[in-house]
Amino acid sequence: MILVLQLAVAGLATGSVYALIAIGVVLIYKCSGVVNFAQGAYAMVGAYVSYVLLSAGLPPILGVIFSMAVLAALGTLTERLVLRPMLKAQLVAVMMVTLGLLIVSRAACLIIWGPDQIAFPKVFPEGSISAAGIFITYNYIAAGILALVLSLGFLAFYQFTPIGLQQRCAADNTRAALAIGIHVSNQVSLAWAMSAALAGLAGTLLATLNGLSLDLAGIGMIAFPVIVVGGLSSLVGALIAGLLLGVLQSFTDGLLTPALEDFLRAHTSIYSVGALQQVVPYALLVAMLLLRPQGLFGRRGTERV
Amino acid sequence: MMLQVSDVEVHYDGAIVALQGVTFTVERGGLVALLGPNGAGKTTLMKAVAGMLPFELGEIVRGEITYEGAALKGAHPATITRRGVALVQDGRQCFRNLTIAENLRAASFLSPKTAEAHLKMVFGYFPVLQQMQDRPAGFLSGGQLQMLTIAMALMGNPKLLLLDEPSLGLSPVMVQSVFDVVERMHRDLGMTVVVAEQTVPRLLKMATDLYVLSRGRVVMHAKPEEADEDALQRVYLS
Repeated sequence: MILVLQLAVAGLATGSVYALIAIGVVLIYKCSGVVNFAQGAYAMVGAYVSYVLLSAGLPPILGVIFSMAVLAALGTLTERLVLRPMLKAQLVAVMMVTLGLLIVSRAACLIIWGPDQIAFPKVFPEGSISAAGIFITYNYIAAGILALVLSLGFLAFYQFTPIGLQQRCAADNTRAALAIGIHVSNQVSLAWAMSAALAGLAGTLLATLNGLSLDLAGIGMIAFPVIVVGGLSSLVGALIAGLLLGVLQSFTDGLLTPALEDFLRAHTSIYSVGALQQVVPYALLVAMLLLRPQGLFGRRGTERV
Repeated sequence: MMLQVSDVEVHYDGAIVALQGVTFTVERGGLVALLGPNGAGKTTLMKAVAGMLPFELGEIVRGEITYEGAALKGAHPATITRRGVALVQDGRQCFRNLTIAENLRAASFLSPKTAEAHLKMVFGYFPVLQQMQDRPAGFLSGGQLQMLTIAMALMGNPKLLLLDEPSLGLSPVMVQSVFDVVERMHRDLGMTVVVAEQTVPRLLKMATDLYVLSRGRVVMHAKPEEADEDALQRVYLS
């Protein structure tokens, strides 16, 4: 039972980081109709930028905030330089370009920082707490709480502030938004900026947990099962599905894999089943598409965010 | 003179001519009826004024549009809205995933100080919107949606209101109540209004000026009381 709790807490921590990335994907999808494959690139670049800033001796809070600002600028640039010239192009073409951006930025990071995993500077205090038999490091707690607070804060911003309202208008109906005086293209830029900044933070948090490497770019791919499960256009769905996926992965890693391996070792000559938890998101993706293609929270037409 | 459209020519997609040599004037405080059959260019003319054409592959290739003495041509629609021109577009454009209250709040973001007063006013005009204010706009009927889009235009406190076929698809009773509101806005608020319609006898009674468009050209400009019923008939049958 304690193991289950322990795994759940760890899963919630990584899950809330997934949620941060998935929320960004949903935000961009809602306002520009584009599924952004470059989200993982933002996470990776964000982590490397944080690494540079923190290594230069900036205090962790400032370093992370600056890196989010750099990513916000990068998101805006992507929208201005790539999206806007392609306004009249087919959406599939735009998505292919975002995939290209992912590959290019991964290559750029490879050239600059090399292929090896880098030890990430300390952001959160070292140590751990144990309560009710659960043992968890500060790293996990801080990353999880920060990601969760930011996700919730962002949802509140989107739902309750005037700019959030303009964002929702621009995402809902471009023509109507223009007619009431909203500069829709500025709102789209803002959405890209916010979503890149959130992804950059998520990348930094993941780097504090697992170290810094080019593999962070792959985290963008985990966002897709998350948003399919949550419903492509639901921000709340992205948050809940992100948490769910984190916990499921954690359970697979800590409970299912050992049990399965014990069973297989006892009855066959198979010794290991590998990183089964990496398969979970995509298995869930396939199951969801078969059973409920609109996702848990996607209801066309009347869906609220 | 509030709005002056001079010798305007509009093409869609670089080829299709939608308006040709259109000259159209709106006096301050006027209520202009813009009549014409389907495809005459009424919607295009309104979109040209509101700056919406570039979003539909349309382009003003000739002529000028001035509003309150300054050029409008080429301005961004949001800028034009900020200058006091509100367009109630065809297709009942509103935010269907947002509640009615959110739709109205969003529509008043340019003039937040007067938002409360305007909200009271539009709820006075359209009590049904107040009763349903927490419902998503997607659940409204066609007539209620039309009320909402007009109410949204009013929330922005416009000086010039352009209504594109407000009666389209509405029951006769609903048409009456929509036109009641248009008349009250014009009379009580002194708002300058342009209404595009196919034919509405009621509109002719309240209008101060009448333009008839056909095949992209102005074929008649008259005072409504001087408009000859037979001449109007000929326009529609030609």
